[in-house]
Parts: sequence; C-alpha cells; structure tokens
Amino acid sequence: MRAALLLLAVLLTACGAPEPPLVVGELEITKPMPGRRMSAGYLVLANNTDEPLRITRVESPQFNSVEVHETTITDGVSRMRKLAELTVPAHDSVTLQRGGKHLMLMGPKDLEGAVTLQFFSGGTPILSVNYTFPEEGDQ
Amino acid sequence: MSPKNLVIAAAVAVALAAGIFLAIRSTAPAVPASALILPEPEPVPQFSLLNQDGDKVDQSVFEGQWDLVFFGFTHCPDICPTTLQVLATAKQTLAGMGQQPLPRIVLVSVDPERDTPEILGQYVDYFGDGNLGLTGTIEEIRKLTTELGVYFEKRGTEGDNYVVDHWAGVYVIDPDGKRHSLIGSPHVVDNYVRDLPILMDDR
Repeated sequence: MRAALLLLAVLLTACGAPEPPLVVGELEITKPMPGRRMSAGYLVLANNTDEPLRITRVESPQFNSVEVHETTITDGVSRMRKLAELTVPAHDSVTLQRGGKHLMLMGPKDLEGAVTLQFFSGGTPILSVNYTFPEEGDQ
Repeated sequence: MSPKNLVIAAAVAVALAAGIFLAIRSTAPAVPASALILPEPEPVPQFSLLNQDGDKVDQSVFEGQWDLVFFGFTHCPDICPTTLQVLATAKQTLAGMGQQPLPRIVLVSVDPERDTPEILGQYVDYFGDGNLGLTGTIEEIRKLTTELGVYFEKRGTEGDNYVVDHWAGVYVIDPDGKRHSLIGSPHVVDNYVRDLPILMDDR
C-alpha cells in the first residue's frame, strides 16, 4: 500500500500535478542550547496560490508550543515580539531567518528523531513538514 | 533626545571625525570599518556581580585582557546565540591566523531573574572556552548598563514568557578595564576579523 502510494506520488509529480499551495524551503531548526528549553526555526514559506495564505497556528508534536516571533533591531535595540499570524502573499514567499521573523519552539519533548511542523490556516491544516537534525559535527 | 543620547551622539560624531581625519592622513589606513572608538577611555563603573562559577566579581574583572561584552539573555533563542556565534567564529578565525592577543567573550545577563550563574555558565561555555558570564541583582546590572548607556527593558509579563528588549551592540573594553569602542549590529564575522586586530593595536 505504501509503495503504491509512493508510486502514485512519483507519477503525479512526473505528470506535472498541481503544485502544493504552500512549500517550505531552507528549513533549519536549532538544537536547544545547553540548559535551555527552546529552539528557533528558520525557513522560507512559498505560496503557490492566487490568494494570500494566512498561517494562524503552527504545531509540533515534539514541542509543547510553537509561536511565530519577530526580532527587530531599531536604533540598535533588539526586540522580540510574538506575531498573531503570518501572511504569505499570493505567488510570493516569506523568509524566516536569524535576526528577523522566526519560529520559537518551546518545551522540547523528544528530539531524538525528526521534528514535524504542522501549519494551520484557521482550523485547517495546510502543510506538514519534517526536519531531521544534522549529525553532530556535520553543521 | 535625552542628554545621555546627546552625549553619545556627540561621541559618535567625534569618533567619526577622528576616523575620517586618520583615514585621510594615514598612508596605510587602519580604520575599523564597523567599530566606533570612543574618544575618552573611561573606566567602567563600579559594580558587584557574579561570574558563572557563582564567585563575586567587580569591575576589575575587565582588567588584563580585551573583552567583547554583549548584553543579552539565555531565554533569547534568536539574536543572542546568533551574535555570540559570530563572536566565537571571529575569535576562532583570528586564532587560526595567529592573532595575539585574542579577546574574551563576555555575556552580561539582562535577565538575572532567570539567568542563574549555572545557566549562564552552560550557555557561555557552549561558545568556547574562556568566556565570561556575568549576572547578579538587577540593581548591580543597572549600575553597569546605565553608566555605559546600554538600554534594556523587560517586556510582557505573562508568567515566565516575558522577553527583554536590549541594546544589540558589543562593547569593547581594553585590558586596563576601560571602555574602548562600540560595535553595532548587525554583527558580521568578517568585520570582526578585520577590525579586532586594529582595535587591539590601538592601545
């Protein structure tokens, strides 16, 4: 069954199946610092649709909570604020990067395996992606 | 503009003018690209804080080596580790180039409620050996930051979820324990690699 689904997925891709509405690129999740219980997530979110996509919630089974935060540096002062939602404009992308918008992942539960991130718009799940930490010394 | 900011603005203007003058005069200009050398090497104010081992230290802790002092907090997952990583990478690069002396990296906590010496120690050790973490009472931290003109302010108080706004620059303190220069954000490894030898050759 799994192999059949995989084959179907490959065939669909090969046939030029419609692009998924939201695509994640350049995903990086930091390991919590020693003694800390939080990580940061960096990624590019691309919207392939004709409508703006509002991301209102992000969840991860491996963390107690995930928030979208933004670091701004104004007049030399660094400020971090929680964003209520993140809008990715139609046919455009939003970059979450160091010193800017980023995911704040709080309360890690199990980071032995992959981290799954689930993006929601309103109550609707729109995307789920996995991230595997690089091997030690591979960064 | 507050009188303090005026003083800083004046200092910056003087430093810039001095920098331009030196750049024009010198045949081999060695002017730091990202740092502002302060016109007067004033000592750091008196304070009593704890290092990461829990030992009481005062302003003399800054004597004996060049220090790169960053004001931040360990609950900050983005800008603080990013800045400390830039400093650590620059220091490693300079070490690889045979630069002597090498500066010490110092993190002064602006969140002493949560940053115990132990937590701060784990944090600074992550960025290499020989780093210094300073924490203590908010009053003692303010003695240091107010005099240096370093801004920080706690924001949002939903339980343990608050953040601290803080000046994101780096203060350079010379081996006499005197204020030498300021390096503003964004912090770039190449700028540090280029400028630190110039700064540390200045006095």
